[in-house]
Amino acid sequence: MYVLLQFILDSGFDWLAEQDPMALLLASSALAAGIAMIGRIGTGIGQGYAAGKGAEGAAVNPKSLRQTTFVMLLSQAVTETSGIFCLVIALLLLYANPLLGSAGTVIVLVASTLAVGLSMISAFGPGVGQGYAGGQAVEAVSYRPRFSGPILRIFLVGQAISQSKVVYALIIALILLYANPLI
Amino acid sequence: MDVTDIQINTYMTLNDMPFITNTVVITWGIALLLFALSILTTRRMKAVPGTLQLFMELIIEGIHWLVDKTMGSDKRNFAPYMLALSLYMLIANLTGLVVVRQPTADLNTTFALAAITFVMVHFNGFRMKKLRYIKGFFEPLPFMFPLNIISEIALPISLSFRLFGNMLGSLIIMFMLYHFAPPLAPIIGHAYFDVFAGVIQTFIFVMLTMTFVSLAME
Repeated sequence: MYVLLQFILDSGFDWLAEQDPMALLLASSALAAGIAMIGRIGTGIGQGYAAGKGAEGAAVNPKSLRQTTFVMLLSQAVTETSGIFCLVIALLLLYANPLLGSAGTVIVLVASTLAVGLSMISAFGPGVGQGYAGGQAVEAVSYRPRFSGPILRIFLVGQAISQSKVVYALIIALILLYANPLI
Repeated sequence: MDVTDIQINTYMTLNDMPFITNTVVITWGIALLLFALSILTTRRMKAVPGTLQLFMELIIEGIHWLVDKTMGSDKRNFAPYMLALSLYMLIANLTGLVVVRQPTADLNTTFALAAITFVMVHFNGFRMKKLRYIKGFFEPLPFMFPLNIISEIALPISLSFRLFGNMLGSLIIMFMLYHFAPPLAPIIGHAYFDVFAGVIQTFIFVMLTMTFVSLAME
C-alpha cells in the first residue's frame, strides 16, 4: 500500500497539468454527473422497504388491498421526488453546466463541479427515511383501513420534513452552479 | 418547447432589476382567472345550485373539512387564505401542461408564498400567546436561543426550495423529454411530473402551512 502511494506521488500529477483546462472541466462534469446519481441508492432502499410492507399488508388484510396499494404507490412516488433532485442536477451538469463558460481558476471550477455531484449524495438519507415512513404508513393502513385519512396526512407532512435535507443539498448545488462566490 | 421557455424572460426592467417577467404575466393570468371564477359563481347564487356553483361549493366544503381536521374548527377563519393559496398553487403548477413556464418554477414566487407563511406563523403565535411566545424561543435552555432562531429561519427556506426544486425539476425533465424522447413519450412525463408532482406539492405546502400556524398558536 505504502509502495503504491509512493509510486503515485513519485510519478506525480504532471499528466494532469498537461491537460487542456476545458477538457479537465468537461471530465469533472462527467464525473460529478455520475456521483450525483449515487444518492439514488437511498431512494431504492426506501421504495423497496415500502413495497415489502405492501406485500405484508396484503397478507395481513386482503380485504383492504386497494387502499394498501394506493398508500404504497403514493409513498413510493413521494420518495421518488428526492431522487428526482439528483436526476435534475445530473442532467444540468451534462447538458447545461454554467461553470463551463465562466472565467476563473481551473482548479476551483473543477472542484466546484465535483462538489455539486458530491453534495447530491445526501439524497441517500432522505430516500431511506421517506421510504421507512411510507412503509410504516402502509402497515398502519393495512391494520386500520378506517383511519387511512389521518395516517395519510401525517405521513405526507413527515415525509416533506424528511425531504428538507435533500432540499438543502440542492440549494448548495445550485449556489455552486449559478452563484458561486468562490470564483 | 424551446430553450427560451426554460429561462425567465424579462419584458420590462426597473432600475436594472427584472420588473415584468413571464412569471409575473402568468400570475396575472391566474389571478384574473380566479377573480372571474369567483364573480361568476357568486353573482347569481341559487338555493338549488347549478353545475358551476355545485362544483365550487364542493371545493369550499373540502377546504373547510381539511382546515377543521388539521387546525381545529375554531380556526376556520384561516380557510379563505388556504383556499386561495391552494387554488393559485394548483393552477400555477398545472400550467406546465400547456407548455408554459410554471410561475412556481421561479424562486421569487415560491419564496414570496413561504414568506407569507412565515409572517402568519409568527404574527398569529404572538397574537395568541403574547410574551409566552417570545419565552418559547428561550426553551428548553436560554443558550439555545440562536439554534431556535436558525430553525425558524430554515422553515421558509425549506418550504420555498421544496416547491421550487420540484417544479424546476419537472421543467428541465419535460424539456429533455420534448427534445430527446420519441413523440408521445412526453405524455407520461406530463402525467407524473406536472399533474402528480404538482398536486402533491400543493397539498404538502398547504398542509405544512396549516400545521405550523396551528402549532404556533397552541
